[in-house]
Amino acid sequence: MRRLLTAFLGATALLSIAVTGAHADGKKAEVLHWWTSGGESAAVGELANVFNAAGGQWVDTAIAGGGSTARPVGLNRILGGNPPSAMQFNTGTQMNDLADQGLLRPLDDIAEQGKWKDVLTPAFYNAIQYKGHIYGAPINDHGYNWIFYSKPVFEKAGITEEPKTWDEMFADLNKIKAAGLIPVAVGGQPWELQSMFNNILLGEGGRDIYLKIWKDQDTAAVKTDKFKHVAEIFAKLRNYQDVGSPNRDWNVATGMLIDNKAGIQFMGDWAKGEFIHANKVVGKDFGCILGPGSSTFMMGGDIFVFPILKDAVAADAQTLLANTIMSKDGQLAFNSKKGSIPIRLDVDTSKLDLCAQKGIEAVKDPNRSVLSYDVLAPQDIVQSNTDLIAQYWTNPSMTTDQFVQQWVQLMEQAK
Amino acid sequence: MRTARKRQLSAYVALFPAFVIVLFAYVATVGWNIWISFTDSKLLPVNTFIGTKNYERLFNTARWDISVINVVVFGVLFIAGCLVLGFLLAVALDQRIRFENTFRTIFLYPFAMSFIVTGLVWQWIMNPTLGLQSSADAIGFSWFRFDWIVQNDRAIYVIVLAGIWQSSGLVMAIMLAGLRGIDRELWKATRIDGIPAWRVYLHIVLPILRPTIITATVLLSISVVRVYELVLATTGGGPGISTEVPGKFIMDYLFGRSNIGLATSAATVLFIAVVIVVVPWLYAEYFREKRRGIV
Amino acid sequence: MMSALTNSAQRGRKPARLSPGRVGLYCFLVVSAAFFLLPLYVMVVTSLKAMPEIREGNIFSLPQMWTVEAWSQAWSSACTGLDCGGIRVGFWNSVRILLPSMVLSIFIASMTGYALSFWRVRGANVLFAVLLLGAFIPYQVFIYPLVRIYATIGIYSTLPCIIITHTVFGLPILTLLFRNYYGSLPEELFRAARVDGAGLWQIFFKLMIPMSIPMLVVAAILQVTGIWNDFLFGVVFAGRENLPMTVQLNNIVNSTQGEKLYNVNMAATILTALVPLVVYFGSGRWFVQGITAGAVKG
Repeated sequence: MRRLLTAFLGATALLSIAVTGAHADGKKAEVLHWWTSGGESAAVGELANVFNAAGGQWVDTAIAGGGSTARPVGLNRILGGNPPSAMQFNTGTQMNDLADQGLLRPLDDIAEQGKWKDVLTPAFYNAIQYKGHIYGAPINDHGYNWIFYSKPVFEKAGITEEPKTWDEMFADLNKIKAAGLIPVAVGGQPWELQSMFNNILLGEGGRDIYLKIWKDQDTAAVKTDKFKHVAEIFAKLRNYQDVGSPNRDWNVATGMLIDNKAGIQFMGDWAKGEFIHANKVVGKDFGCILGPGSSTFMMGGDIFVFPILKDAVAADAQTLLANTIMSKDGQLAFNSKKGSIPIRLDVDTSKLDLCAQKGIEAVKDPNRSVLSYDVLAPQDIVQSNTDLIAQYWTNPSMTTDQFVQQWVQLMEQAK
Repeated sequence: MRTARKRQLSAYVALFPAFVIVLFAYVATVGWNIWISFTDSKLLPVNTFIGTKNYERLFNTARWDISVINVVVFGVLFIAGCLVLGFLLAVALDQRIRFENTFRTIFLYPFAMSFIVTGLVWQWIMNPTLGLQSSADAIGFSWFRFDWIVQNDRAIYVIVLAGIWQSSGLVMAIMLAGLRGIDRELWKATRIDGIPAWRVYLHIVLPILRPTIITATVLLSISVVRVYELVLATTGGGPGISTEVPGKFIMDYLFGRSNIGLATSAATVLFIAVVIVVVPWLYAEYFREKRRGIV
Repeated sequence: MMSALTNSAQRGRKPARLSPGRVGLYCFLVVSAAFFLLPLYVMVVTSLKAMPEIREGNIFSLPQMWTVEAWSQAWSSACTGLDCGGIRVGFWNSVRILLPSMVLSIFIASMTGYALSFWRVRGANVLFAVLLLGAFIPYQVFIYPLVRIYATIGIYSTLPCIIITHTVFGLPILTLLFRNYYGSLPEELFRAARVDGAGLWQIFFKLMIPMSIPMLVVAAILQVTGIWNDFLFGVVFAGRENLPMTVQLNNIVNSTQGEKLYNVNMAATILTALVPLVVYFGSGRWFVQGITAGAVKG
């Protein structure tokens, strides 16, 4: 027994001689991100190719689970002294704490050289800054507030045109119900419900009230009649879902459209990936609506932040990577596979699909585009708000007034 | 005398690794946790003191209240269910049956699998449009209802069910180890005395298994307090937020929601609750008995 | 059934006759097994279907078109980031993490449980109490402080780092297990050995360890499962070169905005679980009875 133990310990000692630490030869850059599905992998591959072709060496560290898993891992690596060269974040306030603590490398010089100010929309150019310095290199622009619909289902229900107002929408949903199909494919996870709510808030409520609530944290805007009206539309939609919606994955909900069982789904443009994977063609098998109401485009996306590295060669690799991310080639290559649109306004987008074209058209007009709520507001408020909306959706006994009151309370508590 | 001291020293040496771990990992963490709960830490831990603001917010959050109620309901049902089922399975497996290896593996495999996916499967099975209810419907049993998972006040029972599925096997393994440690002479003696089997199990075996049962209960309690993945994968905390639990609350605010201050305050409250419940039991169990230790 | 129970428990060989009690026993086992196997059935069946069929939503139906594509994908070609190498990429890393962690954690825990159980040391009970209370803390809370501590020592992001972490987290429960187990052993054994002049370590290695085989098996089961399936500690503490298989599994199963291939997810999960399952199945010969039989007379 003892000999066995000694042998094991010896083997352990041998196995434990591991070389660690990020040392960079050449322009090696370790990139931490959460793009792990087939489609996302292809997109990352394109970006990595552009980087490698320019003299870099992409070292991939992928951790699925988005912000809740990958980000803490990255944070802890920075805190533990073993930072990656670059980390994926979502556009917005997430990076603020890190920048505040002086852990991120400012990109002002790179942005100056690359003339970023000229090629980004003002909204995004502001979003990548904190206290006057630029910290994020944006790669893409995801549209959050699409309504996808199944063309066969619309046909079956006798709907010939895309609805332009919410009255028309409810009329159409009734037709789908009458045809024996499910009007709205709802994924009951809180974030999906929140996305749905804000989709309606932006479309029916309008850009102004949306910005007042999310950007200015103006509680008065929440108490207006217009907001109440939006909340009522949201509540009414409860009657147009099917009974299996709680905790349903968004992919399964999209699957219901693909199988022509359900009519519409409120989702971001990454849902296109599911359709494409199932060999559905936009325009023929499915369509996309921005609205109803005002067709403002809600944008969010991914950026890369760069932890401060002591090694000069590693820092060079970071510079190259930042330039690659913001380059026309890099953006086109990445976004063509990702389903989002490039964030640079001067990229040739003629080959992107119909829905992407609609989005690009909206982005070009500053009045028709707005940043998404989770970019504008602190994570804290956004996430607590998720709980509230989920409660409202699943508790028909909660009145609109109670909903409004709790929203206001939430905003005040988080100040 | 010298051998006695040498033994004392050996005992200290034996306990030294545990001591180091307790000090640096556990005491340090709890201390850090309590400190940070009084600071304004959001994405990163910082040292800006803000008094009890986090706690005020915690007790004003509906989700926390719901979480606490849920974990108590879940805990009681889950522990009871696992103990009973685990015991029955262990007794059954102890009967010199054929295919013991197979059965044992069948009962244990849930514990081996990553619950993120098995939880999803339970979600499908219990979903009224995908799972048992719709299958029963399809073959004509339309009276069969099993849609607890989409009902606010019933969904927690679904989590209890999935939890029992996952953990009974482990309880069974522990009980089986305990049963197998019972002197075989005992069975002979009881048979000679003509005592019926159920009496033997109830009045003789269970008391002998007391340490084993306690071990199992403690293990299960630990799972209850820490429960996170089970809820995440089965109901995601829903419908709405009706099946939220403290473990998930802490995890969500610690990582995804970037509010370390609030998360640590929740963890501290949870810890205090555990201390209040566990310490009296620990005292009764280990501190009062002086039956061991003759250094 | 009742007489069947006492009869069989004491006899050495399996009963040949199939009494009604026996039948009842097997019925109970089979029904329980069905309950336990239900999700596995769904998983296997789903993993053998192609995605269009899965989308239709009949989770219990057998595949109309059988395909093992998902399995080979899960093992070697599923995308987990830039690389599309499936879960086998991390297999040896998981092994390298598992073996030392298991040995170290079980050794320290059994030693601690033994010392707590038989030797009166001042403050030992307090140590045990703190250890046990610490087990109740959700483990994510430990991450930030531990990262700081490891970074200060200088071993952050290395293999020893993850091994120590697993030992730390295994300690409370395993110590409880061993302490209770040793507590249930007859004290006469211990006293007899002491009278013979044996020291603490001799008693431990020569007497206690051989007698605790069933508990070692249970401890091994717990540790194999916990360590093999661990994701969070592996990804935070092990360093990029040592990432375990669960990282690839997580990347396959948890992609947020990409398409979800449920058949690949199921196959990958089953594949990952095979190592603990093999341990469970093979642990049969150690669940022997009567270890203490004959060791104590009267």
